[in-house]
Amino acid sequence: MEQDKNMISGWLEQNPNLEIEKFISRNLAITEKVRKALEEKGWSKAKLAEEMGKRPSEVSKWLSGMHNITLKSIVKMEIALDIDLIQLEPKKEVEYVVFEVLKGFKYSENKDSDYKEYQEGFISMAI
Amino acid sequence: MNNFATLNKVGTYDKVVYYTLTIEDEDGVNDKSLFEMFIEKHSKENYEKFHHIMTWLQIIGNEIGAKEYYFRQEAEISDTSALPPTGVDREPTYVEINNETGEEENKPNNLRLYCFRASETVVFLFNGDVKTENKAQDCDNVRPHFRLANRLTKLLEDKFKEKEILWNEDGTNIEFEEDLELNW
Repeated sequence: MEQDKNMISGWLEQNPNLEIEKFISRNLAITEKVRKALEEKGWSKAKLAEEMGKRPSEVSKWLSGMHNITLKSIVKMEIALDIDLIQLEPKKEVEYVVFEVLKGFKYSENKDSDYKEYQEGFISMAI
Repeated sequence: MNNFATLNKVGTYDKVVYYTLTIEDEDGVNDKSLFEMFIEKHSKENYEKFHHIMTWLQIIGNEIGAKEYYFRQEAEISDTSALPPTGVDREPTYVEINNETGEEENKPNNLRLYCFRASETVVFLFNGDVKTENKAQDCDNVRPHFRLANRLTKLLEDKFKEKEILWNEDGTNIEFEEDLELNW
């Protein structure tokens, strides 16, 4: 479907509120992840509530997508479902990207021989 | 009095196309659609609650689709829904900063936007208001919007049955004549 100017986006562009946008976006992302996990496990919301020792109405409220779920509730769901709902970026120290240029290497239509030639050239350069 | 409504597009997103209706009567032309009236009133009177609903519509439209479980059932004579969604037996909430404590609190979002979720990709947005009673039928604020939404939903369902509103080839959007009218 094509994106166009519309009443909803138009109003939101004129009245930006990053906090509300991020809150609902993150909340829905968590909710959708929980719903997907429930589907994969073949669990109902009532079963999830039972696993966490909570009332089904409480879980329904969390999964409405607009409730301010506490970190404690998120952790409870993570344990019950055995998934990570919030994945923090792994800490990277240094990442190297190496670009090599091979002298005399010509590209041809035959990709297999190109790759072999490239590998041989790379090995001989490394030696 | 003989009323009729025309169909207008609110906006197209990757996963949902929103429509609204403009109601006109034989005495005059109404140039504002139901959803425009909702925007005009509640963007001023209920700014935060309204903002949550607008943001919700945009995110659902862009990323998720109009899944049934994100709409609350408000059916009386037809398959009308409303936003925001709710738990089984609880009022929907939204987060508001408490001015005295400075803390974020889950507050009930009693602002209702009535709609007809025709499918996961097509939703008709009507008007709404702040609900002050348990049942929409008992609330002076929302009762007219609730009743009108149910009536309009029924008319739209009939137009689908009569093939005056058609699904496009891949079933993601609707097709209708530009001068299509819903009469009652």
